[in-house]
Amino acid sequence: MFEITYEVVVFILGITAVLAAFGVILCASPIYCALYLIGNMVCFALLFLLFHAEFIAAAQIIIYAGAVMILFLFIIALLGGAKEIAEPSVQRSSAFAFVILLFGELLLAAGVEPTRPITGDLAPDVINAIGSAKAVGIELFSRHLIAFELASILLLIATVGIICLAKYSYLPARKPSK
Amino acid sequence: MGNQFVLIISASIFCIGTVGFLIRRNPLIMLMSVELMLNSVNFLLIGYSSILQTLDGQIFALIILTVAAAEVVVGLAIILTIFRTRHDLNVDHINVLKG
Repeated sequence: MFEITYEVVVFILGITAVLAAFGVILCASPIYCALYLIGNMVCFALLFLLFHAEFIAAAQIIIYAGAVMILFLFIIALLGGAKEIAEPSVQRSSAFAFVILLFGELLLAAGVEPTRPITGDLAPDVINAIGSAKAVGIELFSRHLIAFELASILLLIATVGIICLAKYSYLPARKPSK
Repeated sequence: MGNQFVLIISASIFCIGTVGFLIRRNPLIMLMSVELMLNSVNFLLIGYSSILQTLDGQIFALIILTVAAAEVVVGLAIILTIFRTRHDLNVDHINVLKG
């Protein structure tokens, strides 16, 4: 009898994430690509839940599937989701050759046995005892404080850049060349 | 589920994102492919932080999430500005920096 275990759920979610990723790059219309990308992100968030990373799963849903994808959908609505006609070219075939080579290399790297096994001391029951968000917070504000501060500076720079880009309306200086 | 599965899923989605970035000509879909690649790396980091029983991977994933949010916002603003001046959404036609 087929039984739903942890491994089966992880396997199904992983395969669904791969299929959704194929949907992102194969759909002609950008709006369907965005919807497939949301599906992919939700699959990843569920996988993060299964990997005992509850805080990151919530952040993934709120930031990625919420804020970023809504921004994408607004921009698509603003620009018009024109379909794209794919024409075969040398660039396309060389891109496929490059990516197949890259995938083979990654699989080769995945097949290597671990050279120096490392393990931390945070078993899942420890994280469950103190809570994932609390554990992440303690780690973030003690050992990774500089990275956290740099991330905040990065967000500030992005905000300033957006305001600079959006403030002026650029008129075409000459006719757009074809 | 073993770490081989995490590696293979992550490598597949990274390669799908790469091929999407290389073959698509719509800048919005190219940005989405970059998001796919960042997401696959996030998945690898979190899977390994669960396998190795440490929290460093989750912190890395959080920082990557921040970088991805900043990147996508700036990228969309640039695409919008280009569209305002040129009324064209094909990256092959965007070959001069000056409007």
